[in-house]
Amino acid sequence: MSATPDPSMKMDFDTSVKLNIYDAIARTTRAPTSAEVAAALSASTEEVEAAFERLHQKRLLVPEPGDPSRIRMAPPFSGVETPFRVKVQDKVYYANCAWDALGIPAALHENAIVEAADGYSGEPMTLEVRNGRPAPQPCAIHFAVPAARWWDDIIYT
Amino acid sequence: MLLFRSEETVARWCVARGIPRRPMINLSQLWDLATTWYENRLTVESRRPGPDEMVKIFARIGLEGPFWDPKSDQWQSAA
Repeated sequence: MSATPDPSMKMDFDTSVKLNIYDAIARTTRAPTSAEVAAALSASTEEVEAAFERLHQKRLLVPEPGDPSRIRMAPPFSGVETPFRVKVQDKVYYANCAWDALGIPAALHENAIVEAADGYSGEPMTLEVRNGRPAPQPCAIHFAVPAARWWDDIIYT
Repeated sequence: MLLFRSEETVARWCVARGIPRRPMINLSQLWDLATTWYENRLTVESRRPGPDEMVKIFARIGLEGPFWDPKSDQWQSAA
């Protein structure tokens, strides 16, 4: 469940930032601020926020619009509460969408209970991932946006 | 992308929003996408698949056509 890097491997700064973010989220369920990542890596917040932007350009991270110190998405994790609540052991994470809701147990290699709701009626729905696969459940996942446009507005997508 | 209880509630959602019904996938396909994208995300080696890899990944689970092509130019005015 940890994203702690192998200390024998020399990593570029952006990879160190990315792994620090994922390690913090996996441990605490909360996305770290640029100041927290900077303190952990003995770097400046400016350096870390520049790395946030480069990771954004690689479509690996989404900073909070209007606030480069905060993380809105470190896929599959959301930096804010969403309708996709993912329970793993005694922790609760939030996912960005249905895809990412299953992405959290896939990334953590853990069992999970996903609490979500029908996109039309709001009726509660639960998905369960156990022993590396989802339990059968009648449902449909609808993609309103074509792949070529996903990153035009990834928060909407 | 959103989760629905059934194709019927997808259809109702599209009518209510005034948008066309677009492709749907099932839970097994969703899990394939989740594991392909994210099972190594917390590791040093992780990276996001490139556009051509994405097309192959989608095709492997039965998702083909311009809707699933990140390089498609058919959607210039799509939402």
